[in-house]
Amino acid sequence: MRIVIAEDTVLLREGLAGLLEDAGHTVLARVGDAESLLAVVAEHEPELAIVDVRMPPTYEDEGMRAAVEIRREHPATAVLVLSQHVESRYAVELVSADGGFGYLLKDRVLDVGEFLEAAARVAGGGSALDPVVVKELLVQPHDGDPLAELTPREREVLGLVAEGRTNAGIARQLWLTEKTVETHVRSILGKLDLPHDGDTHRRVLAVVTYLRASAV
Amino acid sequence: MSRMSPLRIAAFGLAGAIVLFALLDAVRRSDGEEWIPLWLYPLVLAALLAPTTVGLLIVNRQPRNVIAWILLLGPLSLAIQSLLWVSFGEGWALQVDRATWPLLYAWPVAVAFVFPIGRLLSPRWRWAVAFTVLSFGGFIALALVDPSPFDGDDASVLNPLADNVVGEALRVDTTFWPFLLGMLASLFLGAYAIRLRLRRSTGVERLQTLWLAWALALVPIVLLLCMLSGLLGYALGVTIVDWIVFPLILGIWVATAVAIGVAITRHGLYAIERLINRTLVYATLTALLVAVYAGVTIGLGVLVGGDSPGVIAVATLFVALAFLPLRARIQDLVDRRYRRARYEGVRMVRAFEDEVRDGVRAPEEIGGVLADALRDPLAELLFWLPASDAFADARAEVVRLPQDERARLEIRRDDARTAVLVHDPALGERRDLLDGVLSAAALSIEMARLRVEVRIQLAEVEASRTRIVEAGYEERRRLERDLHDGAQQRLVSLGVQLRRLQLKLPREAAVLSPAFDQVVDEVGAAIGDLRQIAAGMRPARLDDGLSAALHDLARTAPVPVEVDVSEDRAPASVEAAAYFVACEVLTNAVKHGSASKVAVRAVRENGTLHVSVADDGVGGAVVRRGSGLAGLRDRVGALGGTLEVVSPRAGGTRIEVVIPCGS
Repeated sequence: MRIVIAEDTVLLREGLAGLLEDAGHTVLARVGDAESLLAVVAEHEPELAIVDVRMPPTYEDEGMRAAVEIRREHPATAVLVLSQHVESRYAVELVSADGGFGYLLKDRVLDVGEFLEAAARVAGGGSALDPVVVKELLVQPHDGDPLAELTPREREVLGLVAEGRTNAGIARQLWLTEKTVETHVRSILGKLDLPHDGDTHRRVLAVVTYLRASAV
Repeated sequence: MSRMSPLRIAAFGLAGAIVLFALLDAVRRSDGEEWIPLWLYPLVLAALLAPTTVGLLIVNRQPRNVIAWILLLGPLSLAIQSLLWVSFGEGWALQVDRATWPLLYAWPVAVAFVFPIGRLLSPRWRWAVAFTVLSFGGFIALALVDPSPFDGDDASVLNPLADNVVGEALRVDTTFWPFLLGMLASLFLGAYAIRLRLRRSTGVERLQTLWLAWALALVPIVLLLCMLSGLLGYALGVTIVDWIVFPLILGIWVATAVAIGVAITRHGLYAIERLINRTLVYATLTALLVAVYAGVTIGLGVLVGGDSPGVIAVATLFVALAFLPLRARIQDLVDRRYRRARYEGVRMVRAFEDEVRDGVRAPEEIGGVLADALRDPLAELLFWLPASDAFADARAEVVRLPQDERARLEIRRDDARTAVLVHDPALGERRDLLDGVLSAAALSIEMARLRVEVRIQLAEVEASRTRIVEAGYEERRRLERDLHDGAQQRLVSLGVQLRRLQLKLPREAAVLSPAFDQVVDEVGAAIGDLRQIAAGMRPARLDDGLSAALHDLARTAPVPVEVDVSEDRAPASVEAAAYFVACEVLTNAVKHGSASKVAVRAVRENGTLHVSVADDGVGGAVVRRGSGLAGLRDRVGALGGTLEVVSPRAGGTRIEVVIPCGS
């Protein structure tokens, strides 16, 4: 996979690059600010850009804004945004709007396997939403909310669906067979009155959009 | 003393001549028969010498002052009579005397035309001067050749010009009438000139004219007294004219000279209003007392007959009893009529003080009241702040002293400056009004100053409290940043490096891998802890606005929280305060209030942020010292806001917070 990294902390940037290269990916460029990021994306048209939210000069949300612009200007480049803390609003909006976008807390990197899988999923046009964000979306169903009708296991599966995982991923996570996961998903979508088709990505969009609408 | 100028020498010469003539006259009278009592003679001399002295004083300062020369020449013309008497004998002296008496009135009329600036009111007034000169000159010329014999006591003296051809031809005894009436008209012209001058002039010139007007107005007053005393003399058969009226008439000339002197030299010019006031009071008082005396004596005289000592005693008693109350009453009436501005100004201040006492108006409004009382709409009162060496207006805003054409008057109390009155410069000439109104308002001004000072100090304290709280929020924000971007970032880097090492472990060291997992998990836990701490400092979500932060808060709350927050942004410190209020109340609601549902609302209206947090818990919450709620109230108060707690027992708790947003 051809990747560019935008992260202003050199130590972390190099660590990330090393990690990705160890896993056999190609890191085309390593930059420390949003402007350089846009430049290298335009130059290399990579499959994935890994972007820190806070970068110079203001350390506000340069990374997030650059991510939006990359998705608009270079649809072929997927973006995985890394954040120090939960800023779910932007993230949920971006994930529910389109594929090829991921949002994870930085320390997810430490679970290398999960991280690489999420990166690959996003680069492949899927999505990744940090479990913390998903947890916030799921936290408290209102009275009469169809979410209240889900069983605990179904809620667990719904959360993993929202994170952007495939049925296989969910099955691996929960120590279930893919077939059981398939059954759960069918039941959940039925209860939430969401359309069911085979496409994992469209399923994620539908679920996140649903959760976002019911949470706010 | 400077070199004597020719004009000064001439003036001293004139004065010397007048003194000489006056002394000659005195010598003459001392051996002749008396036409006035001897004791009056010093007064006559004074009346003659007063204008001379004043004229000389003015010439010494302003050698070209026309009025000074009129003052010197006027008495000279009278003094010359004495010379004639001594040189040519009684007949000539009497003839000149009966021809030149109008000169006694000529010089005051001359003064009236040009007073106080030495110029006529307008070129057209030259006609008035010409008319006056013609009237006086014509009369004197005619009278000089009058062939008719002297009358009265002097009938025995022979007219040296008896039967002269010119006098007979001119038929003086009838032709003098137009000139006499012309002289009378000139007197009125002089009075009219002063009246016009009073109306047209302002400031110093008006005060100067007022002095002369005061002196000349004494004439009708004295005439009135003459009539009264004449009436009294007639009733009692006692002639007191010589004793009272004659000295008064002579006194007028002294007073006129002194008034002109004061006006020209401008020394003590400002006392005129007080002088006029006193004159009016005592003249009216005297007239009334004489009337009372006359009324009582005439009335009792008719009843008991004759002028017994008893009648006079009773009349005197009446006058004595009436004096004090009458004086106070007349003073009040005169104040109301002739010091109307001062009288009303002082009354306005008193009325204002009453309103302040009744709580209807605030003491700070004294500035506006002064502007009304002094009738100067541009007047401004600025209070002195000794601590900061600055001035403040009634709204307790620190201001600079205006640098414009207005005059400034420092107001002091107990030797300390309290305020500065900025006013129309014209007001400076009305010291009587200013002094009266300001001394009446002194206490109010001091009270207002103290209140303004306290308000300014309070505002400063509040501003510093706000700054401290805002600095606190800023510090939290910085700490949160430092935690996220510093420590947390380094821990992630550390974890990544550990993972890379772990992945590169040689196959034979695979036994170490679980240990790596454990260490990385610890690092992950540390990162989680730091994130928690940072969020407690100040939730990063506040960067996205209060709405986002409160929604986050609601999601993580253990009970359902209904959030209704408008999306528009408020200043960071206001949003932070509102957020922490919601946090604290939410925690309390769950911890103590056993609430099952909480509603958080935040709306912006009229430049304030209203936050209300309501739960359905047990209620009974009170703000105790040192409690979380008290801390919140301090934070909100520091931003100029309020925090109200409505918490009836078993009725849930509702906290209402209002914070101004400053925009």
